[in-house]
Amino acid sequence: MAEAAAVAETQPAVGIGWRPEIAGFVSALPGLRFTEVAAESSISDSLVDLRARGVQVVPHGVRLSLGGADPVDPLRVAALASCARRLEAPLVSEHIAFVRAGGREAGHLLPLPRTWEAVDAMVRNVKRTQAALDGAELALEPIAALFDWPSCELTEAQFITEILDRTGAKLLLDVANVYANARNRGTSPLQLLDELPLERIAYVHVAGGAEHDGLYHDTHTDPTPPEVLDLVSELCARCTPPALMLERDGHYPPADVLRKELDAVADAAGLERIT
Amino acid sequence: MSDLASQQAALVSALVGGGDVPVGFDEFRLEATRAALLRKRAGEVASAWPLLAASYGTSWPATFAAWAGTRPPNGSLRDGWDFARSAGDALPSLARSELSARQRELSYDGKSPPRRKRRAALRQLASFATRARK
Repeated sequence: MAEAAAVAETQPAVGIGWRPEIAGFVSALPGLRFTEVAAESSISDSLVDLRARGVQVVPHGVRLSLGGADPVDPLRVAALASCARRLEAPLVSEHIAFVRAGGREAGHLLPLPRTWEAVDAMVRNVKRTQAALDGAELALEPIAALFDWPSCELTEAQFITEILDRTGAKLLLDVANVYANARNRGTSPLQLLDELPLERIAYVHVAGGAEHDGLYHDTHTDPTPPEVLDLVSELCARCTPPALMLERDGHYPPADVLRKELDAVADAAGLERIT
Repeated sequence: MSDLASQQAALVSALVGGGDVPVGFDEFRLEATRAALLRKRAGEVASAWPLLAASYGTSWPATFAAWAGTRPPNGSLRDGWDFARSAGDALPSLARSELSARQRELSYDGKSPPRRKRRAALRQLASFATRARK
């Protein structure tokens, strides 16, 4: 199996998340070497074409509920593994979060209490998932949330590091989530960067957001703010992430605006533009 | 049920099931999260049911949120279908035509995921067969 560096086999690369609405835009990017696709979506001809061009596609799951107290659903894990096989993906990603409990779907990624009990639940489910992935590596993404649980036994960095250490999983670091959480908690995003195991980064997410009622929402439907781009530069001054990608999930701007945003991400990371 | 399981269930209930805010959580931030989830759901349902959402114009997010506030999400296809059914006679005609089109293709009992109707499935098979012969 190719190593985890598989996202960018040679030089670090910039990419953008593949979505049906912008499939044409993504395919037309001359320098594209990797993209990410929702693991639950069907594999379109456009993705098959990208694979044929040698573009690496990372399946990104949002429904496993790895941090749920209940065991992860084997059928959902099998679907993720099958998606990875069909895309010949050496790497898949999911979240440090839960999305359902007590028989109800939340319809969104929810944060875990930073407790040892939650670490144990997460580790159990990550190991079950890894066992079914046929050797594809799993990267875990810490999420953005507008609230914290009332009682925490670990700091965010300790919580994330403990889960990665006990599972051997890679880190999918979302710089916009780091920014959003720090801003909403009134803490320093740089301090979190300094405390996280950056050498375990498989790739990086970058996205936009907006403020509502005094809270910053990681919407993926607004432009990437300069503060998030600055954090990309801060991150790349501390380490060399194998790849960075822009996430956009709606209110798609005209192609030239999206190209400029991709260029801004590449510039902030000190990488080659792909447009 | 473990502590974690019951705590997670209480949180999900507060966010999508109309349950009380669990002790110790910041009420303002949980309410902001609840509202954000409803905005996101309204957008997803609008993608799956464009005519339904369009027939409510700019009041769609608020109209949907008022209906969906205590109903946990069932995916955008079912959420839109349930909303349209619950509107009854008040459903605008544009939305009614979209609902009729869906009802011709899919059968939905309001409890389990909608399934393709036998006639619609046969029609699709026939179209595959025609394409395969070409």
